[in-house]
Amino acid sequence: MRPARSFRPVTGSPRLFEVVRAERTELWTEAVGDPPPVYGERWTEISDRRSRLFEASRSKLAAAVLRGWTGDLPAPGERWLYLGAASGTTASHIADMLGPEGRLYAVERSLRPFARLLALAERWPNLRPILADARDPTSYAALVPPADGMYVDIAQADQIDIVLRNAELLLRGEGARILVALKTASMGRHRSAVGHRDSAEGGLADSTALVPSVSLEPFHRGHFMVGGRWGRSSRLPARAPGRPASPRGRRPGRRAR
Amino acid sequence: MRPTLVVASGPHLFVVGADPSRALGPFPLDADPRAAASRFETMSRSDVPTRVLAALESVPAESRLLASTPRLARAIAECTGRLVEVCSIEELRRARTVLPPTEATLERRFLLALAHLRLERGLRAPEEVLITLAREEERVERSVGREARAADSFVEVPDSPLDRHLAAWGRARGALGDLGDALRRTVENEARGIVPNLSAVVGPRVAARLVAAAGGVGALARMPASRIQLLGSRRRPSPERGPRFGIIYRADRLVDVPIGRRAAYARSLAALAAIAIRADSHTHRDISSGLVARRDRRIELLRRRRR
Repeated sequence: MRPARSFRPVTGSPRLFEVVRAERTELWTEAVGDPPPVYGERWTEISDRRSRLFEASRSKLAAAVLRGWTGDLPAPGERWLYLGAASGTTASHIADMLGPEGRLYAVERSLRPFARLLALAERWPNLRPILADARDPTSYAALVPPADGMYVDIAQADQIDIVLRNAELLLRGEGARILVALKTASMGRHRSAVGHRDSAEGGLADSTALVPSVSLEPFHRGHFMVGGRWGRSSRLPARAPGRPASPRGRRPGRRAR
Repeated sequence: MRPTLVVASGPHLFVVGADPSRALGPFPLDADPRAAASRFETMSRSDVPTRVLAALESVPAESRLLASTPRLARAIAECTGRLVEVCSIEELRRARTVLPPTEATLERRFLLALAHLRLERGLRAPEEVLITLAREEERVERSVGREARAADSFVEVPDSPLDRHLAAWGRARGALGDLGDALRRTVENEARGIVPNLSAVVGPRVAARLVAAAGGVGALARMPASRIQLLGSRRRPSPERGPRFGIIYRADRLVDVPIGRRAAYARSLAALAAIAIRADSHTHRDISSGLVARRDRRIELLRRRRR
C-alpha cells in the first residue's frame, strides 16, 4: 500500500492543502459541492473529507500560491467577489476555500461560459453567479453585499481602473483583500511585462497596502499576481527588501528567472 | 434636509431616510424568489411594493428622493409623481453598509433565478441565436463527414451481424444528414436576415461562421480586413509564412479563382467583407449589389491575368 500523503493546510486558508512530494508540491481544496469533480480534475476522499486537485497550470491563484504569494487568501466564512469567473474553474476552488458558510459572488459577462458557471452554481451551494459586466459595478451592487475580498481575472487593458471602481463600491472597507491576476499580454505592447506590473502596482498603491507581487512563470507566461489590503492608512513598501526594482523590464514571453 | 434613498438589495427594497444609520425594510419585491427576480429585471411601476410607497408618503416634499438604479428611479417617479434622481456612488456605498444581509437560502434561489432569466434572455437575441446555430451546424457537418469516411472504409460482410449493424448505421447516417441539411437551411435564412450584405458577399453560411468566430456582429464590424481574412485559421500568423485563409476559404465563389490566385482573392474578399459587415452593423443599408459587382470584377481579373 502507498503511504498516505500528508495534507497540510496552507497558512491562513485552512481548506487549502499543500502536499509536498519529492519532485513537486501539489495544492488541493476541500470540496463544498457533491459530487466533487467540476472539470474532470483528480479528487480524493480521506476520512470523509473530499478534496480536489488545484492545478497551477489551470489556475492563476494556484500558481501564485506555489510561487510564494504572501498576501491573504480566501478563508472560510468570508464573502468574496470574483470578477471574470468564466466557466468557473478557479471560482469553484475559491468557493471551496470559503467553505459552506462563505459566499462567492462570481461576475461574468459572456453568455456561453456563464451557462457552465450557472450549472456549477446549481450544485455548489456557496457560489452565486451574476451575469453582468464588471466595468459597471453599479449594475450588480444590489446583488452583492459588502465583500471581505475580491479576486479579479479579467485580462483588460484598463483592469486596474475596473478594480478600483469595484473596490470603492463593493468592498466592506479598510482591510478587505484584493487579488488581481495580471495578463500583461492583454495590456498592450507599449510596455514590457514587468513594466505593466509596476504600473498596475502604481495604480493600486494609493488605495491599497500592497504585498510583494509574484510572477506566475512557468505556469502562466507573462502573468503576475498583485494585490494586498484595501485601505489608505496602512501603506506597506510595494517591493520586498533586497529585490531591486528592475529599471528595464524583461520582454514578455521570456522566462523570469 | 437629508435625502431619502430607495435601495434595491437582492429580492428586497429598502428605504434609508432621515436616520442614515438605519434602513426601513426589507420590502420584498415578491414572496416567490423567481417572481422577485423577474420583477427585479423589469422594475416597472407595478413592481414597486406598496409598502415602499407607503413609507415614502411621509417624506416631506422639500426632501430629495434618490434611488440606487436608473430603472428604480423611473419606476418610483412614475408611482409618486415626484422627481427621483439616481444616487451617487458615495451615497450608495454609505447606504449599503446599513442594509441587513439577505437570508442565505432566499438569496441563493433569487440569484439563481435571476441568472437563468438573464442567460435565457441573452441567448434569445437573434444575433446569439445565429451564433449558436452556426456553431451547431459546423459541429454536425464535421460529424457527417466523419461518419461518411468511416462508412467508406467499412468492409461489408453479407449474412453476418455486421450486415445488420451496417443497415442500422446507414439509417442513423441518413438522419444525421437530414439534421445537417435542415440546420444549414436555418442558418442561411438567419444569416440573410441579420447580416444581409455580408451574406451576399461571402455566402450566408460563411457569413454566419464569421459572426460566430468573432463573437457577434459588432465585434466583427470592429475587425480590420486582415483579421477577418484569417478568422478561424488554426495556425499562428507570422511575417514569414503565416496562414492565408481562415473561414473565408469556403466563401461562395472562391472555387472560381485559379489556385495560385486564391490568396490574392482572399485579401480582396476580406476587404469587401469588412465593408459589408460595417453596413450590416451600423447603417443597415443594402449595399450588396455594389459589393457583389466589385467581387465579381475581381474574380474576372484574377482569372484573366496570368501568373
